[in-house]
Amino acid sequence: MPPTSASLTAASSSPQRRLAKLGPLCGLGISAALALSACGSNSGTTTSSPGASSSVPSTVAPKTSSLQSELASLEKPPSGKVALTEDGSSLLYPLYQSWVSAFAKVDQGFSSSSGADGSGTGITDAESGTTIFGGSDAYLPPGTASQYPTLVNIPVAISAQMVNYNIPGFATKHINLSGTVLAAMYQGTITNWDDPAIKALNPGVTLPNLKVVPVHRSDSSGDSFLFTSYLADSDPSSFAAKQGPSTSPTFPSVTGALGAEKNSGMVATCHQTKGCVAYIGISYQADTAKAGLGEAAVQDKAGSFELPDAATITSEAAGFTNVPSTGTLSLIYGPAKGGYPIVNFEYIVLKTNQSNATVAQGIKAFLAWAMDPTKGNSAMYLGPVGFQPLSSGALGISLALLKKIS
Amino acid sequence: MTVAEPAVQAPGSLLAAGEPEGRRRHLAERLFHAATASAAFVPLAALGAMVAVLLVEALPAIRFNGWGFFTSGTWEIGSLYSNPVSTGGVTHLVGAHYGALSLILGTLECSAIALVVGFPIAFGAAVTIAERLPRRLAAGFGLCLEVLAGIPSVVFGLWGILVLGPVLSRDVYPTLAKLPNVPVLNVFRGPTGNGEGLLTAGLVLAVMIVPIIAATTRDLLRQVPTAPKEGAEALGMTRHETFRAVQARWIRAGVIGSAVLGLGRALGETIAVALVSGSQIHNAGNIYDTMTTIAATIVNQLDAALTDPTHFAVRSLAEAALVLLLLTLIVNVAARLLVRRSARGTALPVGAGL
Amino acid sequence: MAAVEPSPAAPGPRAADKGDWTTERTSLRRRWRDQASWGAAGLALLLLVGPLAWVLAGVLEQAARVWRWSMLTHSTAQGGLSNAIVGTLVLMLGVLVIAGLVGVGCGIYISETAPPRLGSVLRGASEVLSGVPSIVIGYVAYVSLVIGLHWGYSLVAAVLALSILVVPYVTKATELAISQVPTAYREGAEALGMRRAQVLRKVVLRSAIPGISTGLIVALAISVGETAPLLYTISFSNGYPNAALTHSSIGYLTYVAYSFWDQPAVADQNLAHAAALVLVVLVLGLILLGRLIVRLTQKYSAERGR
Repeated sequence: MPPTSASLTAASSSPQRRLAKLGPLCGLGISAALALSACGSNSGTTTSSPGASSSVPSTVAPKTSSLQSELASLEKPPSGKVALTEDGSSLLYPLYQSWVSAFAKVDQGFSSSSGADGSGTGITDAESGTTIFGGSDAYLPPGTASQYPTLVNIPVAISAQMVNYNIPGFATKHINLSGTVLAAMYQGTITNWDDPAIKALNPGVTLPNLKVVPVHRSDSSGDSFLFTSYLADSDPSSFAAKQGPSTSPTFPSVTGALGAEKNSGMVATCHQTKGCVAYIGISYQADTAKAGLGEAAVQDKAGSFELPDAATITSEAAGFTNVPSTGTLSLIYGPAKGGYPIVNFEYIVLKTNQSNATVAQGIKAFLAWAMDPTKGNSAMYLGPVGFQPLSSGALGISLALLKKIS
Repeated sequence: MTVAEPAVQAPGSLLAAGEPEGRRRHLAERLFHAATASAAFVPLAALGAMVAVLLVEALPAIRFNGWGFFTSGTWEIGSLYSNPVSTGGVTHLVGAHYGALSLILGTLECSAIALVVGFPIAFGAAVTIAERLPRRLAAGFGLCLEVLAGIPSVVFGLWGILVLGPVLSRDVYPTLAKLPNVPVLNVFRGPTGNGEGLLTAGLVLAVMIVPIIAATTRDLLRQVPTAPKEGAEALGMTRHETFRAVQARWIRAGVIGSAVLGLGRALGETIAVALVSGSQIHNAGNIYDTMTTIAATIVNQLDAALTDPTHFAVRSLAEAALVLLLLTLIVNVAARLLVRRSARGTALPVGAGL
Repeated sequence: MAAVEPSPAAPGPRAADKGDWTTERTSLRRRWRDQASWGAAGLALLLLVGPLAWVLAGVLEQAARVWRWSMLTHSTAQGGLSNAIVGTLVLMLGVLVIAGLVGVGCGIYISETAPPRLGSVLRGASEVLSGVPSIVIGYVAYVSLVIGLHWGYSLVAAVLALSILVVPYVTKATELAISQVPTAYREGAEALGMRRAQVLRKVVLRSAIPGISTGLIVALAISVGETAPLLYTISFSNGYPNAALTHSSIGYLTYVAYSFWDQPAVADQNLAHAAALVLVVLVLGLILLGRLIVRLTQKYSAERGR
């Protein structure tokens, strides 16, 4: 059930009103863009990801020029009005809103509502037809995919997840955390920030005597899926490995543990709770900084501790060279050296059979525009939310899936 | 019943049923009768349909979950991202396990707090309104009761989470947590959390059930005959003693009934509790801890349950809904019987030496 | 001997309470207990009014910070509430029609036509129905209408769920209103030779209209404030309601209050507070409307010299 993007929709506002409505997102956008550009994030072209292997066995990597021509052909908007509906991932939400408002300038007949009720809801809404798009950080579960053969998940960008904490004095200091330690925190075996296990990862850092308060998502969340995937991959004895990753995992009952809804709820709850540890999507980096939450350096497969930035996210994604034709791929805890371990494709879930041709064409135009590395997948849009563009291999797969929409 | 030749012409009554106009009118009456009769059976049919639908939907879950549904506190959807398995003809996810104990306990605990806090307030307020206030003021406070009853539950929920919760957790709970460690008071000890939890939810519920208890009690008090009251006061009893001897005896069963009505309302309250309780499916560790109730769980978990491709989570929620339905039905029937007993005045111990 | 004070029909403070003749007879302890218990009862009244004032003040304060009159003319897609208000009104209309017809018909049948045993069974069923939690009704509607009958999220399912929820209140009010019609009216009408149906229509129902309207207003006030039954029978939309009965979606105020308050965009959060205010204003308006109807009809019947 999608609430609207009250601040940024095409509908009919004058440029000035539109700028004024950008207000709430400005705090997210402009300062983050400045900060990230200062760090030298440059995600202009897709083909220059370091360490990218150019051989993609099972799926042919089309050349850039043919990709561009495919994009150009798909991006033709239909004549007539197209009103789309979207609900789902709160991690994708800020980017989706900026895409919608930008594309509405390209195609005046286009509009879309959006919501941030969680990836699980996004998937079920797309399934049931409540909304056309389901935004999701998690790919379709195998049971759902087999039950609904017309449902596809199309990667549209690459995103990442932070691990944040609220420790007085550590708002700008990064603490090293590993999957084993995080799993222990969420299982209740590590209850204090000055636990020896945490100290072992952070030599020379004096951590205060402060109770750990694990915060998890209580709604059906793609961020929960990413976090439990990371825990399961990095610590095979953890609760996440036993259950398997899930958008609605059953977190162990820990005294004092809190739940929050949506990424914005995670930020707010962690901000109010000293000692909290929370997993928050990278598109909320400006909010976590404003809330005084520190960011953890998370341990990757090679053993080093990485922070999520353009270089680490891109190299992690580049470590996965086989993108299956369904687009279903986990980018978590990959083999790439210097890659941030909690990285994922952002998916738009939708049915391949749409109600009419105008809607189908409108969908293709919008999504092709969004995935175009010179347009929606450029630094102008991805930079403020900390996302990275799709690699050419992934883009090829996405376009192939997009062409199935009719 | 009909008069053969009325002196005054009443519209249409002179025509006998056999004439064409009479037949049309007769048909219209029959239709009207049939329409009202079918309308009258709607509540009964709706109740039956509800039980039937929930039963049919929940039956596979009931068989699979068994008695563990009432004894286990873990509510697990299972491995969403692995393939479903089949046990005893029921398809479900690996590791799916539905235990509603924490839901049931949470419901009972929260409603108990609401009743313990709300009943004295409602009773005292109703007694004041009905017995002490002049008519104008009583009407004014009656309006307050109506407004309190009319405020939507989502507004109460937002107030609870944005206003009451922070104030309580900042100012009240830390003080309560310092109470001495003696048997009754030590329930207030422990980590005070951030305002979302059992006690806050119970207090919000208390405010919400006050109107129904107070209004019923006030109406019961209005029905108490004046003769015994006058007699008692004539004997020199203070008003308080009169109340205890006359009104209290007269309305006792009804007041208990009104309290049970309030309990029924508290058991079924959904949105306000969902917003304020913290919505964690576990047994509350102390009185400030987060918890959940059956109703809040249904509303919170349905989205997640829909992601289960085997549909089993939805069925387990139907089982929880069935439990809630039966619980509230029993409570409400008991309440109505008690209120009715009092209204008929059988609660007054006539001849007990009054 | 002590004089017996004349007692008014409604209890109120009397001169005797000020301690004239009772103090000679009444011990200090009894007096103290008397004062203390009524003091406690009065305190309870304050404890009732206090939270009420706090809630209303809270709603007002939050909404006043963010309120713009343009919210009444723009839809939720444009930072306003207009489609949500229209949607709520459409739901109210649907409930008025369906719950009104069913509830009044039910009340008429139970009080006029039904044999006593059947009547009390039906009345009991109605009272029991009023105790069913709204989420259960919503869930059953979801399983049976949205999924079972393949209506999808639909206006019809939402209106039906809300109507079932409030029918008992309309029924009870109708019964009460009909029972309060003086038997003199009925006897007079029958003496004039009116048939039973005519007595019902022209005499009883006419006199019962104020009471029935009060019941309808209670039903409307309840349906305005409900969220749970609507969450899973109709999905939210930023547009205005269209004529589609099935597979439709509308905006409604309680959804805005419930779902927008923790959305990432601050503008959405503001809408939630504004929606809460509009809800409270709507409910207050309905309550006052009910009182107005009662007062007008009392005046009317007083003028007619009854």
